[in-house]
Amino acid sequence: MSSSSWIPLWLHKLGSPPIFYRFAGVVRPWAMALAIITGAIALYGGLVLAPADYQQGDAYRIIFIHVPSAWMSMFIYGVMGIAAFIALVWRIKLAEVVAMESAPIGAAFTFITLVTGSLWGKPMWGTWWTWDARLTSELVLLFLYLGVIGLYHAFEDRRQGARAAAFLAIIGIINVPIVHFSVNWWNTLHQGSTISIFGHSKMSGAMLWPLLLMMLATKFYYIASLFRRVRTDLLSLESGKDWVRQIAQDEARS
Amino acid sequence: MTYASTAVPLLEARALSFQRQDEPVFAPLDFQLHAGDLVLIEGDNGSGKTTLLRMLAGLLHVDEGELLWQGETLQRDQCAGQILFLGHQLGLKGDLSSRENLRIAVGLHGCRDGVDIPGVLSNIGLHGYEDEPVRRLSAGQKKRAALARLVLLPAMLWLLDEPYANLDRTGIALVNALLEDHTAAGGVALVTSHGTASFHGGEPQRIRMHD
Amino acid sequence: MTEHQASLAPACAAMLRRDLTLAWRRRGDIAMPVLYALIVTMLFPFALGPEDTLLLRIAGGVVLVTVLLAMLLALDAMFSSDIEDGSLEQLVIAPQPLALMLGMKILAHWLTTALPLIVISPLLAAMLHLPVAVIPVLLLALLMATPLLSLLGAVLVALTAGTRRSGMLLALMLLPLCVPAVIFAAGAVAAAQQGLPWFSPIAWLGAALVLAVVLAPMACAAALRIALDA
Repeated sequence: MSSSSWIPLWLHKLGSPPIFYRFAGVVRPWAMALAIITGAIALYGGLVLAPADYQQGDAYRIIFIHVPSAWMSMFIYGVMGIAAFIALVWRIKLAEVVAMESAPIGAAFTFITLVTGSLWGKPMWGTWWTWDARLTSELVLLFLYLGVIGLYHAFEDRRQGARAAAFLAIIGIINVPIVHFSVNWWNTLHQGSTISIFGHSKMSGAMLWPLLLMMLATKFYYIASLFRRVRTDLLSLESGKDWVRQIAQDEARS
Repeated sequence: MTYASTAVPLLEARALSFQRQDEPVFAPLDFQLHAGDLVLIEGDNGSGKTTLLRMLAGLLHVDEGELLWQGETLQRDQCAGQILFLGHQLGLKGDLSSRENLRIAVGLHGCRDGVDIPGVLSNIGLHGYEDEPVRRLSAGQKKRAALARLVLLPAMLWLLDEPYANLDRTGIALVNALLEDHTAAGGVALVTSHGTASFHGGEPQRIRMHD
Repeated sequence: MTEHQASLAPACAAMLRRDLTLAWRRRGDIAMPVLYALIVTMLFPFALGPEDTLLLRIAGGVVLVTVLLAMLLALDAMFSSDIEDGSLEQLVIAPQPLALMLGMKILAHWLTTALPLIVISPLLAAMLHLPVAVIPVLLLALLMATPLLSLLGAVLVALTAGTRRSGMLLALMLLPLCVPAVIFAAGAVAAAQQGLPWFSPIAWLGAALVLAVVLAPMACAAALRIALDA
């Protein structure tokens, strides 16, 4: 593995499964605690403290879930794409695991975005679903996630499946902006409803801080959830290795 | 034989191993293949014989250890066209005749002149079956059609997975004759087989695969 | 090296001829997607009523989607027989650029599945009362969009090469990739129908097609090596 020599040493060390397993074990509870605390504060701020919107009343409050989820659905796809690239180029097992375990979390956030978007659409547009450019792009994103997950599970060899799905994830990264562009063009062609999410109303500070805090909470949640999944995956992938046996023995003793 | 060991080996494996689902398929292997070598790969079912051949053919990646081709790390472009592989699946299209199949193989390998497909086919015992779709041939005849590739295409290294399977006595003698000609001309052949094969040209080298 | 380059053209020819001969030996398989497209198009008037204005409005989109689905039907088989009989292994080992050989395979696949569909597409369009003046635009859109789908589909089929047969998975994977192609192809037809300029979506499709012709065979080769673990 001469090609791995120019990866920073700390990254290379962190890429070793036993070290990452321990690192993730330490970080995970903290990330989860932070996610719960910041999430609770953000929800209180958003649902109770923030004033009602002069146009939409209380219905707008769903953005405190919808917008952070939408943001996370993109962010996680980005993380998955980067991990997929690393996995394909350097064949690092941890990167494969991170990419594949990010996909279900990202799909969940995408799904939440779609559901909250359609719940919000009912009072806004008077319909549960509208072929709005952003919602349509989000729907396509969900299919991209599902394709990656489906391909990963279609292989018998998990590492081979991970590499194939990683390749698909990278194709998807190229595809997302093209889809967004084409859907925008399509909307102008068909003169559909083009109400943007924030309309023209300005966001007051009392609305903004819970939103930003919620974004932080979802990030922490992602880290906690990802690390839990990666840990279980590493254990089963490396089940034959000494460090896993060591952990099994330690747990049996305690 | 002394000159062979001092020269750079055509193919060399150093601590070569392969893992599937993080279980080693075979233990680390070391071997050197020189011009004129005939090597028999022995091992039980599931000991990784086919995996080893597929790896040498460049169909599987090298997990651990090294594979050297003429002293340098094996790369796809470097040994392109120098390797012929005969696997469990013979690589023949059932809807095409053996003549058409071989013409495609010749086209893919980019050799055009001096190719006598009907002659080779009749030498290999398929006289009168040249234009029969391959799916209508018997298992042994299909094997012979696949073996014709070895005669038609020039390559240094032959990787033959169970070449004797499905063949009758004359077929086995045919494979042995092909192997003798190839090694006598300085070629190298790796052969997997359960059954013992008899060679006229002395005892072949053996690689034993253990779990 | 010149000798190597000289062998490229015969190798490409051998590959193309092989796939076309194989398709010709199984002519019935070529007819299946065409038949499928005919049946699906026929069902629309039955489902929606034979009202001219309605059919006329949806004709372009229906023909495009039908052609896409018919192609998807045939896409699954692009590599499956080659994997079963070991031909693909021989192709990977052969001393030719794999991307180029796969490009030939994709070309053969397009010629044998998409081209017959394009040939009957005026008939499909006429069944739904698409104005005759719009049919050239529809043909142009299909000529741009179908090779794009063949190329993108080939990459995805290559990725599923090492798995159990999975037509549904292929559809799931192809949907996000073909959305832009469908939008622009149907957009061009719709624009032509409304008497609006239709050239720019066709130009976008053309640009995408040029990119795909260059990149997709390489991606296909890489995907195949991953799926076969080489």
